[in-house]
Amino acid sequence: MATLIAQQQPTARPVKPTTQLRTTLWLLVSLIVVAAFWSVQIKWSSLADFPSQLIKYLGLMLFPPDWSKFGEAFKATILSVQMAWIGTILGIIVSFPLSFLASRGLAPRAVNAPLRFIFAVIRAVPEVVIAILILSVTGLTPFTGALALAVGSIGTLGKWGYEAFEGVDPGPKEAVRSTGGGTLALIRWGVWPSAAPEVLSFWLYRFEINVRASAILGLIGAGGIGKMLQDNVQFRNWDAVGMLLVVVVVVTMAIDQISGAVRNKLIHGTWRAPRRAS
Amino acid sequence: MSTSLSSPTQHRHERPTKPKLGAKYAAATAVLLIITIWAGIGVQVDLPAIAANWRNATTNIVQLLQPDYGFFPKTIPALLETLQMAVIATVISSALSLPLAFLASRATNPRPKLLAAVRFLMNMIRSVPDILFASILVAVVGVGALSGIMALVLFNISIIVKLVSESLDGEDAGAQEAALAAGASWPKANRAAMLPQILPSFASQVLYTFELNIRASTVIGLVGAGGLGILIDNVRSFFRYHELSLIILEILVLVLVLEALSAWLRKKLV
Repeated sequence: MATLIAQQQPTARPVKPTTQLRTTLWLLVSLIVVAAFWSVQIKWSSLADFPSQLIKYLGLMLFPPDWSKFGEAFKATILSVQMAWIGTILGIIVSFPLSFLASRGLAPRAVNAPLRFIFAVIRAVPEVVIAILILSVTGLTPFTGALALAVGSIGTLGKWGYEAFEGVDPGPKEAVRSTGGGTLALIRWGVWPSAAPEVLSFWLYRFEINVRASAILGLIGAGGIGKMLQDNVQFRNWDAVGMLLVVVVVVTMAIDQISGAVRNKLIHGTWRAPRRAS
Repeated sequence: MSTSLSSPTQHRHERPTKPKLGAKYAAATAVLLIITIWAGIGVQVDLPAIAANWRNATTNIVQLLQPDYGFFPKTIPALLETLQMAVIATVISSALSLPLAFLASRATNPRPKLLAAVRFLMNMIRSVPDILFASILVAVVGVGALSGIMALVLFNISIIVKLVSESLDGEDAGAQEAALAAGASWPKANRAAMLPQILPSFASQVLYTFELNIRASTVIGLVGAGGLGILIDNVRSFFRYHELSLIILEILVLVLVLEALSAWLRKKLV
């Protein structure tokens, strides 16, 4: 080993890599940026009174927020979270087997490639657009929102899943193969035990994303906190909007904390993240 | 060679007992099942309705599969606006978020109170979805690209600051310590010792947010913030599914092409 490396070491100094391509690319990027600023139709002058406007509206929204509709807002938030949950569960149920089929080595290439393409296409379409597409089948209900989130989840969970399955240590896989295990045994004993913590934490992460996205879906009428927010913005009930924003922020942060704790439990075995040795 | 060092008492002859996790797993499954049923009742999961609506839906789906390419010239201005919004928002937010990232990292900000304040603010901004910012900003600033850009900037800053400050936390602080020991102020030490280390990760996060922006700027128009979203809203309310399908196709192509481009740029520039 050592002799091999010694032989490979070049005797001459390495040539300095050319920077021509990088320079051209940077120029091109700058050009695009300048063009975008120059061509966009914006009245930049309206930015001048933005700070005062911002303070005015923040004052209207938050000092003080209107807590009279808190009960309704709380119910709407719960509905949003339920939408996110059902969306995540359905997404997991569909994407879990599919991501095995999309992994190289666990299914034939002819199955891998189309699945990966489908995942990429789904990831390219925003959830709101998926919801608009599904609307025509299911109508404007919270269930539509959940379905849209489920479809959106399949794209990301499918991709993260097959990446995790392909990245596992080959040792256990070889062990299963060498003892005559079939593909199912390979998945159960060679792949799943090593990939499980990572995959479970992806599911949690996707749930966090779905909580945020479910608020967005309300804007097109799928119900939940987004719908209530949109209604109040349209009628300029700023103090109610402020209250809703507080609710959204608190609930999202709380869910992030809980799911972060569960994730730590899954990966490190403790509820709190272990302190990094420094 | 390591076997001679380890003491023989560490060798166990009996097998370790298998941990009893059955009850724990059962409890976890039960909790998950209960939450799922509760949520399912909440969102009114109704599978028969899908089957019933399916017949109505088939005509819509057939329309969706036939994009109206004649509509393309009319979408060009909106398409361009989407691109402009994404580029401008990415540039502004990357400029604003670099100093904020240094303030939000324990490794580069010696003041605990300022650190906590910046982190809290960023967490708060991050928990509001971009389209909600957009719907409020449209009311404050007015309909158009400006409110969209501002919503994207707010959203991007929180993401870039989080990711870059985390990579700052993980960097080697040796050079920074040396700079501080030689009498540099914190900003100078950070500039000389920490900035060069995180520039590659910063650049790749910026490209990543650009991809996010392309996707987001296609939809924030739904609330009036400019770009393709406004068009989507128009054709959707008049049930023009042929045109809707063309717009979705455009989004698809735009996102896939720009993602490929940004992956290539990342390889070349970072």
